[in-house]
Amino acid sequence: MFTTYMRVNSTNMFSSFLLLLSPVLLQDQERDPVGRVTAYRLDHVETLQGDALEKVVILVRDGMIERIGQAVIVPRGAEVVDLRGKGATAMPPFVLSHATSLQTATRGRGRNAKYRGIDTVWLSKEDTLKDYLERGVLLASIDPPGSGFPGRTSVVRTTASLPVPEALVDDLHLKVTVEANRSAMELLRSAFKDADSAIEKEKQAKLDWEKARKEWEEKQKSKAEEAKKKDSEKKEAGKDGGKDGAAKDADGKDADGKNGKDGKEEDKEPPKEFTPPKIDANLEPILDWVRKERVAQVWLDSASEWVHWQDVLKDQELSWELVLSHGSSHNFHEVIDDIAQAGVRVDIPAQIAKQTRYTRIRINLAAELVAAGLEKLILRPSRSGVRGVDSWRVGVAALVREGLDRQIALKAMTLEPAASIGQEEIVGPLIVGAAANFIILDGDPLDPLAEVLMVIEDGKRVYDREKEEDR
Amino acid sequence: MNRQMRKQNWLTALAVLLFLFGLGRALPAQEEEPLEEPAEIEVETPPPAEETEEAEPEAVEVAEESVYLAIVGGDIHSVTDGVTRKGIVLCKNGRILKVGRRVRIPKDARVIDATGMRVYPGLIAVDTSGFMRGSGASSRDGFDPFSLMVDLGLAGGLTTVHGSHAIGKLTRGSLEGMLVGTTPWVRLSWSSTSPSGRRSLRASFQIVRDYLRAERAQALDKELGEEVDELKEPKGLNKDHLRLLRGEAMARFSANSLKDLSGICDLLEEFPMQSVIFGGREAWACAGRLGRVNARLVLTPRSKQMADKRVNRPSGWSIENARKLWDAGVEFAILPSQKSISTGGIAGRDLLTLPMEAAFAIRGGLPQKAALRAITLDAAKILGMADRLGSIQVGKDADLIICDGDLFDYRTFVQWAVVNGAVVYDKQAMPYFAHIRPRPEPQKVIEAITDALKGDKVEEESAPTEGGEADAPEASVTPAESSTKKEPQD
Repeated sequence: MFTTYMRVNSTNMFSSFLLLLSPVLLQDQERDPVGRVTAYRLDHVETLQGDALEKVVILVRDGMIERIGQAVIVPRGAEVVDLRGKGATAMPPFVLSHATSLQTATRGRGRNAKYRGIDTVWLSKEDTLKDYLERGVLLASIDPPGSGFPGRTSVVRTTASLPVPEALVDDLHLKVTVEANRSAMELLRSAFKDADSAIEKEKQAKLDWEKARKEWEEKQKSKAEEAKKKDSEKKEAGKDGGKDGAAKDADGKDADGKNGKDGKEEDKEPPKEFTPPKIDANLEPILDWVRKERVAQVWLDSASEWVHWQDVLKDQELSWELVLSHGSSHNFHEVIDDIAQAGVRVDIPAQIAKQTRYTRIRINLAAELVAAGLEKLILRPSRSGVRGVDSWRVGVAALVREGLDRQIALKAMTLEPAASIGQEEIVGPLIVGAAANFIILDGDPLDPLAEVLMVIEDGKRVYDREKEEDR
Repeated sequence: MNRQMRKQNWLTALAVLLFLFGLGRALPAQEEEPLEEPAEIEVETPPPAEETEEAEPEAVEVAEESVYLAIVGGDIHSVTDGVTRKGIVLCKNGRILKVGRRVRIPKDARVIDATGMRVYPGLIAVDTSGFMRGSGASSRDGFDPFSLMVDLGLAGGLTTVHGSHAIGKLTRGSLEGMLVGTTPWVRLSWSSTSPSGRRSLRASFQIVRDYLRAERAQALDKELGEEVDELKEPKGLNKDHLRLLRGEAMARFSANSLKDLSGICDLLEEFPMQSVIFGGREAWACAGRLGRVNARLVLTPRSKQMADKRVNRPSGWSIENARKLWDAGVEFAILPSQKSISTGGIAGRDLLTLPMEAAFAIRGGLPQKAALRAITLDAAKILGMADRLGSIQVGKDADLIICDGDLFDYRTFVQWAVVNGAVVYDKQAMPYFAHIRPRPEPQKVIEAITDALKGDKVEEESAPTEGGEADAPEASVTPAESSTKKEPQD
């Protein structure tokens, strides 16, 4: 008998043989003592790594995907969720790159980098987060409102406890908005300038400190030696232990020095650890960014703003991602190649752009960016709020219908936004060993009629449509 | 002695060697030349051999970094140096490198076949609105290089616009080289209806003049070695007016009536300074005076006002206004009544049809070349940019328009616009006018020219290229049919 589970992906003779055998095997399997095992029997799985799988069983144990494939032996006693025959499709959960409806605060333009997205969260209804969860969204990134440098983004789980959701990550990307006008551009330029001067200041302060420390140490040493000499001359005895002795001597001299005129200043010990000069809280995140310790999220509304962004960025090598909105101009097609060549992650609304001047021409910006060589694409709902999430899949479906690769499109709603917020561990491809975070829909994810049946987070069913309806 | 002789011998030998070396280097260059010569269209005045020898290595050395654009076969209306029929304009890195009938084109140049077309300097419009946002140097931050206004401006032949104290080029798709300069004009108000305003203006200028005189006297004293006290600035010294009288700034007036214009002439006679007068509807009646005070004008030839029958002097508008000013030697620019591009309708009185406004002045007797100057070089002069803009001359900015006919013909369209040596507008590639009298066939890139540079076969002494008019007696080189290709569309 088989004592271990087997998984075979390919549809060869062997696997079909196993498939036939599986019900028999199931009975003979011993109950697993280690943990709760759940087997999801599904019609399709969009693993988002390689091809989609058909007629699949996903075996979940201890919050992990233990097995996934067509011929999975389900251990005895495992809970079996059989969704076959309904077109049930599993895929990684959606990740919302900008959950704007979760916040209320408004802020104008300026350097407000000290604020965090999570600070502005205010849930209008108790079940706002749940609305997202019901639509298959597991993670949502919240960016601070306002323009210029409005603050830093945060990430929440849609399963977070209420009423104040705890942030999964509270301090992430620096949000930067670009506008083509003098004051907005001046804001960017002055930020770079101030960051540079702060870096320079810190460098200088460190040099000063190092110099002061060195001088002081040397002075102490020579004083200690002098003292030693005196001591040895007087008593011709005593061997002091290196550092301790020196320190003691130093302390002693310090006390003595007070009598001298300028001894107080000279003998004051510089701090042992260098403390960098205090930096304005609104400048600090910008400084992190300039030091390449933080990623910026650069918001653009038009091709013009892209040109201005490139103009202000010059040759600086910073890490940044783009968030594009069509605005009123709908003219990003003018700079598709430039954007694709920049090699950054690009977040665009799942919406076919109109080209304002050629009113009959529709631009599939996503598809064209990918064709131009863009590798990291995020598609976000084109409208904010829960309604936006409702029409999200429809928008993406339109992009796929008009030329965008399906796999890229699905990744752009799940894996890419997760990668953007550094949560690949939570939302990644459905493979063995990955965290059991996935959603099950009752049809093709890009079918507008398909609905989310279940959301599984760390192996737990955090949303189950049937149960909700029963309630 | 002997030692010196030996030294001399050595020197002679060295000189001979150097000469031979130089000859050896020069000879192959002479051999190469005939191969490359037939590249170009006209062989009218062969340039001196030295020049080509100098130019050649330069072109080869920097070929990789430099961006070349050649406009070949069109009639070049240079504004300053007359018309070159079927000539070539070669642009390098945004500047005009060469103009003429016989110009060697580098291999990697982008070539526009302008056969049968006319090449003009890009048009310049003074005091526009809507092209840039912001004021002065900050206009660059507010410039949208993809805006509809930029496209339509280029379609109307404009390459440089002025407004809100900034001079900007319509660099579509880029901010590079967009801001040309600023015009910190001093706006002076001179109105016949405000005697107190006139009085205070004159008083201020008198203070400035006295101060300048004292300054000059002091400088003279200093030169003579006399001890002088520090000159104190008088009370009420207007710094702007000081700049005006020092010739560091330009005064900007607005005046239409003869009364106001004469008053401004009075002021300028008393206090000579650079000036530009906007309006000038009745300027024809005092053209001579305006010329004598060296005033520049910005006219709107179609701005009409009936004569005032109550006054016993010339009044009202005149179709001959521009012509009379031209005769009096007054420099002027032309501006339509609408200072922007109106998308509300095809009214024909906005900046989309600047040459039509100038054409109206031609109707009133203004020579065509003067009308062209008014919307190119003279406008550039008013903006203080005549050293860079306004004509097709070597060294100037490569801002050009290529039109399918006479600029002042109502049927003429701009086919291509070039700003800073880059093609920023192509009628066939843009949706606005592509469907109206489309270009007969896609213009060809004369690849034969580059082939010829390589020394490939070139037909010589054949018929002119398509579109070539019968009035061209000179023979031209037609690119081999097989080696022509479609002009890449932007």
